[in-house]
Amino acid sequence: MPIARIARNTLLTALVIAAFVVSYRVTEADFPRLFRDLAKGKDLLTAFLTPDVFTRDVETRTVSIVFPIPCGSAPTESLLPSEGPRLVPSVLCAAPLETFTLQGFDLQPNSEVVIRWRLPDGRTMTAIRTETDANGYFTYEVQARPIQSTVDGVASRLEVDTLTPVGGLKPSQALKDVMDNMFVTIFMALLSTTLATVIAAPLSFLAASNITRKGCLGTAVYYLFRSFFNLMRSYDPLVMATVFGFWLSFGPFPGFLALTVVTIASLGKLFSEAVENIDAGPVEALNATGAPPLHVVRYGVVPQIVPDFISYIIYHWDINVRISTIIGFVGGGGIGYYLNLSINDFKWNQAGTAIWAIVIVVWAMDFLSSEIRKRLT
Amino acid sequence: MLRIQNLSKTYPSGTQALKNVSFDVKDGEFMVVIGLSGSGKSTLLRCINRLIEPTEGKIFWDDLDITAAPPADLRRIRRKIGMVFQQFNLVKRSTVLTNVLSGRLGYVNPWTSLLGIWSQEDRQHAIQALERVGIADKAGSRADALSGGQQQRVGIARALMQDPKLILADEPVASLDPVLSHSILQYLEQLNKEGITVICSLHFLDLVHRYATRVVALKDGVKVFEGAAREIDRAKFKEIYGEEAQEVRAASL
Repeated sequence: MPIARIARNTLLTALVIAAFVVSYRVTEADFPRLFRDLAKGKDLLTAFLTPDVFTRDVETRTVSIVFPIPCGSAPTESLLPSEGPRLVPSVLCAAPLETFTLQGFDLQPNSEVVIRWRLPDGRTMTAIRTETDANGYFTYEVQARPIQSTVDGVASRLEVDTLTPVGGLKPSQALKDVMDNMFVTIFMALLSTTLATVIAAPLSFLAASNITRKGCLGTAVYYLFRSFFNLMRSYDPLVMATVFGFWLSFGPFPGFLALTVVTIASLGKLFSEAVENIDAGPVEALNATGAPPLHVVRYGVVPQIVPDFISYIIYHWDINVRISTIIGFVGGGGIGYYLNLSINDFKWNQAGTAIWAIVIVVWAMDFLSSEIRKRLT
Repeated sequence: MLRIQNLSKTYPSGTQALKNVSFDVKDGEFMVVIGLSGSGKSTLLRCINRLIEPTEGKIFWDDLDITAAPPADLRRIRRKIGMVFQQFNLVKRSTVLTNVLSGRLGYVNPWTSLLGIWSQEDRQHAIQALERVGIADKAGSRADALSGGQQQRVGIARALMQDPKLILADEPVASLDPVLSHSILQYLEQLNKEGITVICSLHFLDLVHRYATRVVALKDGVKVFEGAAREIDRAKFKEIYGEEAQEVRAASL
């Protein structure tokens, strides 16, 4: 029936198009925004690409002058020095909201400069950051603010810090923190993989049809463990981590537990499939010798599955390093948690350090695990 | 004496592999079972040590009812019955020595052997078994590093570790180069002469004539012949294997 077929195809096409329209709507897809907001993305990317890795010690030198606002409220600087590091304002005092020029001479060359007000009560207001040129000179337009007015005959002061890096490069605090947290993540993944292996390896035999599925009891055990693994596998580690997080309060321990549970299920399933895929011949031969059942497994099954098991364990350690990074985001501790904190504090360079560390470690683990697995046969 | 009485096997799929098969095997015989692939030879051999549970019938070994033995007794019976397989059934990743030692698992202390610890006596026993089949120098090699013929000799050494009274050989030379057939069968013949009963399934008529003291032939699970090897002539052969069959001469190789 050509008409029926055309009608059916038209209907199917319409349904498919409708599905895509709905998908487009719900995701609020707006591809041009990628380009409109390019500036924002570029800044972020630049910050990420310049991670906070090294730092140098900074020597701070401060010069200051008294600066009464308004004029006459307090004595002005009586004599400005004419040599050495010094500040020279265009006026010696100013009315509120008046703008004047502040110059600095013979300061540390090519250094970062912090200009700030020290108020009469001792508090500071950081005005601005700038830099000195090769001669140690800077100039900056400063506006006098009412809040900087003289109080009880004590005038505010203008202070300028020059920050000079001294000594060699050394690891920044961010790098140290990232490394500490990375160790937490790697070892959290290692411990959860190990614990999961210890639990999953024996259980996997119970979920292997060629070992367990014999008689009524065996079949029941087989289906019990098989469905247990399948059920546990269907929980996302992130969901599991959130549950454990609320239970045990957030930190590395609940993250580790979540990883362990998910890894037990995943390894259990992979292990049991490895057991099912063995060559049945040696098992038959050992049964024929009159060996007890446990010995048949020890001598006939175990040697056949060792390479597969090791390969799966290393692969899961690798996966768990990645997952524990994500789990950190929901409070599971380790590098993910640190990255989350950095992003929430808008410390993009610090976040960049964490991201680079993750990339390097994940790449290294990936490389290592594939190298080791290649050597197993 | 092994007595097989009215043995039948029906698989869950409905296939009737053995139909009411009866025969006796006297101690010291080299009994050869022949028949086409799928005629029930493998099923018959595996029913004897109950790797396959027979559906009906009984098997007596001397006065022992193998078919009625509970699991622990069955293991005690099995350790006196060595078995050699067409595909050798070695653990490929284990060493030759471990493969041979594993033939002893029915006898040794279950705890130490579970940990992979073997007595000096067992190790010497295993080396001697390997010496008997001429590959003691391969003891440390991985089983899959050996050629097919060598692997089958390891299989025989493993059976020897059981100190067997009976050896079941399920097409022991079918996976081997025909030129190696004699070398493997000569080892079995030697063991037979030392008093071990051998039940062996074979394909080549020449080999049957050369080694068998008696022959049982199966066709579609039914015993169609029992008698001396020399009684099987070309006509009988056609009858067992069907009109299409063409004899391949192995002995001439």
